[in-house]
Amino acid sequence: MVAATQATANAAATAPPAVAVRDLTIVYKTPAGELPAVSNVDLYLPAGTITGLVGESGSGKSTLALALLNAVQKPGRIATGSIDVEGLGNLVELPAKRLQEARGGEIGYVFQAAQNSLNPLKTVGKQLLDLGRSHGVKDRAGLVRSARQLLARMGMDAARVLDSYQHELSGGMRQRVGIMFALVLNAHVLVLDEPTTALDMISQANVLSIVRAVHAERGLTTLVVTHDIGVVAEVAEHIAVMYGGVLVEQGPTEDVLRAPKHPYTRALINAIPRVSGDPSVARPLPGRPPTLETIPKRGCVFRERCAVYAERNLPECVTEQPPMLPVADGPGRLVACHAVGTKESVR
Amino acid sequence: MATVLETPTGTTPTVTPARQGFWRNLWRVLRRKPTRLAGSLIVALFVAMGVIGPFLYPANLPIDAGNAYAGPSGSHLLGTDFQGTDVLALLVTGSRYVLVAAVIAAACTVVVGTGIGLYAGYRRGGPDSVLMRITDFIITIPGLPLLLVLSTLWKYSNPLTMGLVLGVTGWGSVARAVRSQTLSLRERGFIEAARGLGLSTAHVVRKELLPNVAPYVAMNLLISVTVYIYLEVGLFFLGVLPFNENNWGVMINQAVQNGVTQTGQGLSYLLSPLVAILLLTLGIVLLVDAMDEVFNPRLRED
Amino acid sequence: MRKLPLRLAGHLVRALVMIWVVATFTFFLIRQMPGDPVAAQYEQLVQQGMSPDGARNATQLTYGFMPTGSTWSQYTHYLWRLLHFDLGRSTQTLGVSASSEVLTGAKWTIGLVLAGILLSFAIGAVLGVIAATRRSSGTGDALTITGSLFHAIPQFVMALVLITVFTVIWPVFPTDGNVDILVDPGFNGPYIASLVSHATLPALAYALSMFGSYLLTMKSSVISVLGDDFVLAAELRGLTRGIRFRYIARNALLPLFTIFALTIGFMFGGAVFIEKAFNYPGMGVTLVNSIGHRDYSTMNATFLLITAAVIVANILADLLYTAIDPRVRRGGTAGA
Repeated sequence: MVAATQATANAAATAPPAVAVRDLTIVYKTPAGELPAVSNVDLYLPAGTITGLVGESGSGKSTLALALLNAVQKPGRIATGSIDVEGLGNLVELPAKRLQEARGGEIGYVFQAAQNSLNPLKTVGKQLLDLGRSHGVKDRAGLVRSARQLLARMGMDAARVLDSYQHELSGGMRQRVGIMFALVLNAHVLVLDEPTTALDMISQANVLSIVRAVHAERGLTTLVVTHDIGVVAEVAEHIAVMYGGVLVEQGPTEDVLRAPKHPYTRALINAIPRVSGDPSVARPLPGRPPTLETIPKRGCVFRERCAVYAERNLPECVTEQPPMLPVADGPGRLVACHAVGTKESVR
Repeated sequence: MATVLETPTGTTPTVTPARQGFWRNLWRVLRRKPTRLAGSLIVALFVAMGVIGPFLYPANLPIDAGNAYAGPSGSHLLGTDFQGTDVLALLVTGSRYVLVAAVIAAACTVVVGTGIGLYAGYRRGGPDSVLMRITDFIITIPGLPLLLVLSTLWKYSNPLTMGLVLGVTGWGSVARAVRSQTLSLRERGFIEAARGLGLSTAHVVRKELLPNVAPYVAMNLLISVTVYIYLEVGLFFLGVLPFNENNWGVMINQAVQNGVTQTGQGLSYLLSPLVAILLLTLGIVLLVDAMDEVFNPRLRED
Repeated sequence: MRKLPLRLAGHLVRALVMIWVVATFTFFLIRQMPGDPVAAQYEQLVQQGMSPDGARNATQLTYGFMPTGSTWSQYTHYLWRLLHFDLGRSTQTLGVSASSEVLTGAKWTIGLVLAGILLSFAIGAVLGVIAATRRSSGTGDALTITGSLFHAIPQFVMALVLITVFTVIWPVFPTDGNVDILVDPGFNGPYIASLVSHATLPALAYALSMFGSYLLTMKSSVISVLGDDFVLAAELRGLTRGIRFRYIARNALLPLFTIFALTIGFMFGGAVFIEKAFNYPGMGVTLVNSIGHRDYSTMNATFLLITAAVIVANILADLLYTAIDPRVRRGGTAGA
């Protein structure tokens, strides 16, 4: 088992990543000036993999997800950095027309189930045709056929769904329709924003198995943005952990979850209650995640809640943001922490 | 962290804090936006005009036949009418009828509308449906034509009659709104809780329902005054009602009949009552804006 | 779509009931007039030497129903004649039936009110969009305040001001009437031009007094829709600007149709003022004149027709809204 993941990880590591985010900084305009929601993020999504982006609310993960379509909403904007997508180049520099084609055509975005991502006044089928028209699809019948196949694949009555309005569909159905819209034009990158939030447990399991299946069948590169580590553990091969707009740890899911190096990741895992055994073993992380205004401008963003800093008080933690550096534990493992690497951290 | 409980010292004030707070709140809100202060001044001015105005002039206004249709001048601030009577005098003496009738109409509307709305919302079921059907009916019937038809029956020479008739035709929307307020209060459990405590219907209505619908009703009262002013002035303007004394609508009617719109002479005679109406409306709108803020304080926008 | 016929049936029943109530009301109203005019005419004719039968027939001709007999029989006869659209004859314009008297005016009123509604809808919607998109700037505020202000101005004031400005101070438009009588009626250029020029100011008076509600509603609607998820979703799915614009527009326009019905009643009510001010020969003027001349049959007919017009317009507005909004047309969620 270990050898297999090692091999795929190696293969993935040598092939060019489908999505390469380099030094990305996204700022928001506030009365107090432009504040960063995402700071100097380097994120690589190897082709054909599923990566899970984990963070609390306000960590900047949703903003990062939108950036993958160059769709950060005002008053935010991409300040520096590049987002290279295979076959498209740097999204930040794409001309508007090409960007419009890429959205949906090559990169698909799936909204949360709770959101109403469909026009309430038109049937699903009509909106599908609008999608086709916007992307210059000539074979409309073929498009409808693909949509039907996708819908059926996800366990829905395709004919009825295409003829329905949004208010006639349940939350789970709407989400699956959203997945259909994201994939019907054969995109090769898929971004899902909180796919399991607002769904009951059974629907959650359903959605995740659908995501896994379509990902494998179509050879997609998928990014799942969530606050739920369980989702990442279940479906993603890679995990990236975000806090206060900064990526603090990345690596193969199993390795990271089994042996987390960053104090935040460790705290997240420690906070998960176990199904069996003593529930008081789970320890919540004291304090609150930072907001745009309270993110420390100097030094490590996690400093104030960090158990390791409380214990060791490293001066670097106050003065500079730790760089994301590879650790010796395994390929593809990156951690941004001053305490890691200087000395083996105490469990 | 220790908490300290402060024990009240001294005697409680005799004026209930709520009532005191309202006036103080109102004053504060009025001061915040100068336009509101202007609004209340305007309203006060018109009220004064209506109450004391007619006492300032003799019963029969002097006619200055040689000076008809004059424009504004030193001796006649707003010009003269077709008989040479001073327009300002006409305006002031004509205000009482208009204002009194409008206030009576508004009061009537509010009383009937609130009563019906509260009853329908409180009782629900059969009486509610019946009352709402009637209310819908009243709302749909075009008000002005109805008033015109009714004018054949009653002469509105008395502002009281005029007020009553207007009020009877216009309570529809107030009833609807009060009813939906009552229903939503019902949803919030006020009524059930009070009944559960064994409180009588009268108490529930007085202490729970009325204070909650009162703000809306108060603002509506003021707005209705403006609507009723238009209606009655309009009715007189149309010339369907016989008049024995002057009022704003009569002024407009006479102005048009005597060809002001054709010749352009005596423009101030036509425009003065119009401007007066607009001014009063403006004042009331601003005042209502202030009251709205008192009852529904919003976060400051700066 | 199954619900539509049911809704329609419900509306029709309510409408008929309302018309019946109004007709009954006016019937008894006329009887209450000081000096019951129906009986009075009968008496007068008999005094003048007509036979009782002849007098009865003549009075019936005037009022549409039998002037003698018990009140109940008169009432039922009245209703019967009403169903045949016979409301008697006009006493001011001899030889003309009341209903035709009213109908000649009706088409002018309806035409004008329609023009006014469409104008105010269009002006309000367009300005509302601008007010929404420029809401942080001075333009947006100015538009909003203008809308509220105009809305507060009573219709006859608006009419008179327009008359004063555009016919007296700056004579651009004709002062009254609906068309120049010197021009031959028909589908020719000068006639139509004359029609339009006479209708402009009155329609404008309607429009200016009502556009405020449309403006304010559109503004808040656009602001709300722009924040909706599906707008962002459309952008993220790569839909073209044109298609996205249409998505936003149709959703934003929806609330305007709900106030459509309200404005209709208002307009018809105000028709009286505006037609009188502009001397436009519509139902409003007919009503006022009939009251002035004590022509009760015409008054009755006019009042009924105006009420009927408002009711029909309300029904149409409701049906229109049902047709446009699929949430109303096909409510409820399908199974998971």
